[in-house]
Amino acid sequence: MFEKFRSYLRVTSPDPEDARRRNLLNIIVVGSFASSVIGILILGFGLIAKQWTFSQASFLLFFFVIFICLVLIIFFINRQWGNAAAYIFLAILTVGYAFSDTAANISNGSSVFFFAFAIVLASLLIHPLMSFAIAAIGCGIIAWANNLAAPGTSPNFVVMIGFFMLALVSWLASRSLVQALKDLRGINANLDHLVQERTQELANSLTRERIEAGRSHAILESIADGVIVFDVNGSAIIANPSSTRLLDLPNEKLVGASVDDLSQSAPLDAEGRNVLTGLLTKPGEQPNNAHIAWGKKTLSVTSALVNDSEKANIGTVAVFRDYTQEAEVERMKDTFLAIVSHELRTPLNAILGYAEMIKEAIYGPVNEKQVRASDRIMTNSHRLLDIVSDLLDQGQMEAGKLALHVRPFRPADLIENVHGVMDKIAEDKSLALTSELDPAMPKFIHGDIARLQQILVNLINNAVKFTEKGSIHMSLKSKDAQTWLLEVNDTGIGIPEEEISTIFEAFRQVDSTATRKYGGFGLGLSIVKQLTELMQGHVFVTSKLGEGSCFTVSLPMVMAEQGEH
Amino acid sequence: MNDMPMISELAMVVEDDEDLAAIFTEALRKANYQVETVRDGLSAQRRIIQIEPHLVVLDMHIPYVSGGEILQQIRADVRLKRTTVVIATADARMGEMYTDIADFVLIKPITFTQLRDLVNRLHRI
Repeated sequence: MFEKFRSYLRVTSPDPEDARRRNLLNIIVVGSFASSVIGILILGFGLIAKQWTFSQASFLLFFFVIFICLVLIIFFINRQWGNAAAYIFLAILTVGYAFSDTAANISNGSSVFFFAFAIVLASLLIHPLMSFAIAAIGCGIIAWANNLAAPGTSPNFVVMIGFFMLALVSWLASRSLVQALKDLRGINANLDHLVQERTQELANSLTRERIEAGRSHAILESIADGVIVFDVNGSAIIANPSSTRLLDLPNEKLVGASVDDLSQSAPLDAEGRNVLTGLLTKPGEQPNNAHIAWGKKTLSVTSALVNDSEKANIGTVAVFRDYTQEAEVERMKDTFLAIVSHELRTPLNAILGYAEMIKEAIYGPVNEKQVRASDRIMTNSHRLLDIVSDLLDQGQMEAGKLALHVRPFRPADLIENVHGVMDKIAEDKSLALTSELDPAMPKFIHGDIARLQQILVNLINNAVKFTEKGSIHMSLKSKDAQTWLLEVNDTGIGIPEEEISTIFEAFRQVDSTATRKYGGFGLGLSIVKQLTELMQGHVFVTSKLGEGSCFTVSLPMVMAEQGEH
Repeated sequence: MNDMPMISELAMVVEDDEDLAAIFTEALRKANYQVETVRDGLSAQRRIIQIEPHLVVLDMHIPYVSGGEILQQIRADVRLKRTTVVIATADARMGEMYTDIADFVLIKPITFTQLRDLVNRLHRI
């Protein structure tokens, strides 16, 4: 009720300065209304108590009623139209009052002070400068009243100067009030703006965070890889849907589970259990991408520590990927290689055998041409067998399954064996194959003679392939007490410098058109490099275009006693 | 050829591939053996208890019973303690496994002359 009354008295305006002035006028108007009502009541009491006669009171009563009516009119004008009410109010105060007292009182007596009220209110209600206008009007009225009361005398200049002094003070006070309020409103508005800005920023960053979190969550929910996050105490706090699908364990069994719980409830063998526990408890220490047989599946498991922005460890994340198909492909590849090994070698073996039997005249006498033809069949069968062996070796080395059979052997035997295999091939191309055994080489050393022979055969095959005329020279040298060298020199076409770094890659030949011209898969040098590395050695090459190449294999020297053989 | 024994001894070839069996058999005959050829593990198992070969050329990948089992059976049989076993396999890793039990391990391809010359030398042991 009181609130409603207060809000009825309040005037609203888009201009805050206008609103302030009109509210001030409202307060004055309400005050005037109240004081008029009190005045009427006092008059009423005076009449009842017979202090005054009705004729004495009638003038004042009439004045109060008129005043109340005017005040109400001003109140409604103030509410509806604004500033006009302030002008009317001041006009009533100044002009109206000029007729309410005797001319003598107005010009020089007790009513002079009344204008001070109007001057101050004018600066507050209309405009700071308005105080001077009212002061001037006041001066005019008292001059006019003086002329009526005492014609010929000079008006009260002291009062007039006083009016203007008061107007000056009012103007200054009111102006600084307006300015102060304006500043305050400016500060408030600025503050509001700042608060609004900050609120918007906060809302934006919260929204962003929610979007980010939502996005991460969506990714985690939809990726095919199983992701489980463990806290620092080693219990699972997050397990995405893929993890429950891949691990064949319900989400309730995963979330909250410890590493031990997980490895116990998983369909694993003892080794798989060890690998999994190692990966989850000591991430980074175990080789990642471990393949674990998980029931009927094979899973590839990776783990990593989760660190916060201060680099403090807050847990471990494990990623599980279905590796079943890849594992199956690897297994099939192994089976395929084993089958190829057997199924290709067997018929080739038969071809070799029959060709040899024809040559050996098992099936009756043969002429020289037939012997040569048998030789060609045998040479080509051997070439085919070598290619098959190279492919199988390459496959085995890529899978890391090729093992060396290290025994004591005589370096002289190695040279002799290589001559046995390669002399014919060099001779077919009219190339001289020469060899040299460093006298400083021990009589016996440790090594896999078959694989060393393969290295030399591959290097010489390569040399023969790329040499049109001249010679090929192999040598076994003792470099120092720890190292021995296998060297193959040729007088072939040489290798461009920019190609030297790539010639040891599988399935590569210097010129891709060379594959057709020179034949072969380009596997020989790749096998040389891989075998050398398997033997803890190095292979390097020096070459000059058009002059020839020199391949050097350096190997660790392990001497052997003759008796071990 | 002069130092070869007058009575040819018995040799057995266990090889499932028809052509290789023929080649091995021919090589052994040329080395003056009387040769009996079987093409699978079961036949080899049955036959080995009836005869007493001086030499067995044994393939590892054969049907029904593996070459490894035949080898174990020969080594477990006192009757056959003088029998020389030559393993013929394409699988170098498998050959490696039997170097201690077999007398010789040959990795395929095994040529006619290679086998003939090897078994020729065996007569002198």
